[in-house]
Amino acid sequence: MLDQPINTNRIKQMSRNKILSLAEAVKRYSWDGMQYASGAALPVGSDAVVFGRELLRQQRRNLHALFHCNTQQLNLLAAAGAVDKAECGFSGLEVFGFANGLRRAVESGQLALEDYSNLSFNLRLLAGAMNWPFAPATVNIGSDIQWRSAFAPDEQPAKHKIPTVTDPFSGREVGALSPLQPDVAAIHVSLADPLGNAIMLGTEWSRFELSRAAKKVVLIADAIVDTACMRQFPNLVRIPDIIVEAVVYWPLAAWPQSSPGFYDVDEAHMKAMNKALASAEGTAEYIKRYVEGYSDIDSYLDMIGRDTVEQLSQTETAFLLDPFRQWIKTPDEIAALSAGENP
Amino acid sequence: MSTSLDYTRQEMMAIATGRELRDDDLAIFGVGLSMLAGYFAQACHAPNIRTMTEGGVYGATPVGGLPWGIECNRISSNATSFTNAIDALGFLVASGRCDVGIIGAAQVDKFGNVNTTGIWDGDGTVGDTYRLPKTRLTGAGGANDIACGAGRVIIMVTHEAKRFADKVSYISSPGYLDGGNARERHGFVGGGPSAIVTTLGIMRPDPQTKEFVLDAWYPFSSIEEIRANTGWDLKVSSNAHVVPEPTAEELAALRRVDETGMLRKK
Repeated sequence: MLDQPINTNRIKQMSRNKILSLAEAVKRYSWDGMQYASGAALPVGSDAVVFGRELLRQQRRNLHALFHCNTQQLNLLAAAGAVDKAECGFSGLEVFGFANGLRRAVESGQLALEDYSNLSFNLRLLAGAMNWPFAPATVNIGSDIQWRSAFAPDEQPAKHKIPTVTDPFSGREVGALSPLQPDVAAIHVSLADPLGNAIMLGTEWSRFELSRAAKKVVLIADAIVDTACMRQFPNLVRIPDIIVEAVVYWPLAAWPQSSPGFYDVDEAHMKAMNKALASAEGTAEYIKRYVEGYSDIDSYLDMIGRDTVEQLSQTETAFLLDPFRQWIKTPDEIAALSAGENP
Repeated sequence: MSTSLDYTRQEMMAIATGRELRDDDLAIFGVGLSMLAGYFAQACHAPNIRTMTEGGVYGATPVGGLPWGIECNRISSNATSFTNAIDALGFLVASGRCDVGIIGAAQVDKFGNVNTTGIWDGDGTVGDTYRLPKTRLTGAGGANDIACGAGRVIIMVTHEAKRFADKVSYISSPGYLDGGNARERHGFVGGGPSAIVTTLGIMRPDPQTKEFVLDAWYPFSSIEEIRANTGWDLKVSSNAHVVPEPTAEELAALRRVDETGMLRKK
């Protein structure tokens, strides 16, 4: 059994406390025109939606968004005109329907959306993580995903999107998927320690591959735990601290989407937000109220509504968090960490 | 069999889709109504079916109604394993291990090709250059991967003329492409769509040409109604028949899964 805190202390001294405020993380790790990847589950689950809100607060522009699946974050960023190019495997909101902000930006020509599928997008992240020149595709070939490119609309069939190559072993023709190495990935996780070790509850979707493909990784965590938690469940730590630049603590970071173990999807806000993003006027009103409408975590939770927060937290999945609760740090403990060690 | 059962067209479609699933299948369900059809089969006649979603959510059944997404907490509260997309769509579907998948469609054509990417104005084609769509849809998601890799694919779609095109504007997920043995050119491990199940009936591919023909209609629909709502000159199978209406047991099982009544709305 691991009951020797002396080991823990020694390792802690070798690692760096990476807790940063959300505003500071966005300031340091985002810039106009960057390739920005969302570390999410799918449109209804985990995503660092609050990181996207902060990108708008800091007026980032001309983003090239790499979103395995569209989420309310991309829907908002696209509606606000902050994204020039996007690449997605899926660009809807699942049962919540079409993503109105994204579709408006695509239909107007303001944003070029390059289509892949959910497996091929993930294979591109894998290729990026491995530094492979390409990944062979047995999917997407033979469909318009291969033949049509929004980034090169005059080419038909597209020459550089998923070119056909010959398998040197069988002689069979397969597609070549280009690797992705995003400049920055903001990855939503359930639990992170101050060093940047992370546990994801629910499907990890492609966050494992993304965390290795991205040049820089920022974690946005619903809760901060002591590193002892990671030592108790090391098999569950799929993102280790050595590849992480910064850790942001932000409760309900995926709101109005869900986070297994913590909170359910806010159905009413999912619908109201998507309705607002369908028009420029609605988007402006949404930004005023829900992007500029808070100054810190407390006022963010007030904005959502404390009753709503309480209700969303009564999730059937709450038991998933039980094994980890004893290590969750209080806001005061996190504040002390933030104050103590940041340059 | 009772003829007095009250059910919707959507419920008939879900039950007819569910009847396509077998007890020994490894099955993957897309988001939305196809999930209800799949979990209905598990609740009714296929208790041993092995199910998964493309997020790598295993051993789970929906709680509280139709999940809002394949990763939603309604499908994450009783899972036995959470993995990831590469695992579900790659190791288990692209590999050829998955027996059956259910996908939806905004538009489907006579060779079972599915468009979920966009609707174009004018002549409805994309054109030589990649024109902007008049209406942008959701893109392929995991359906392209399921259409390429699953042993058989069931396409579940509301039967309206605008959705049933001679040729889809954009192939998001391949059926039999331009027919015959076209899939072989690309070496797809999966067998292609085995049925298009709609709110009016069931179509199946001709074994040679792979053109979809009418196989069955429902107690409340007719060959004429189906042909009138199909955008190509739909042929009728010599074995075409009426689909048995839902049994009381089937309806009860479906409604246990469809707690929030998504299929009762129309």
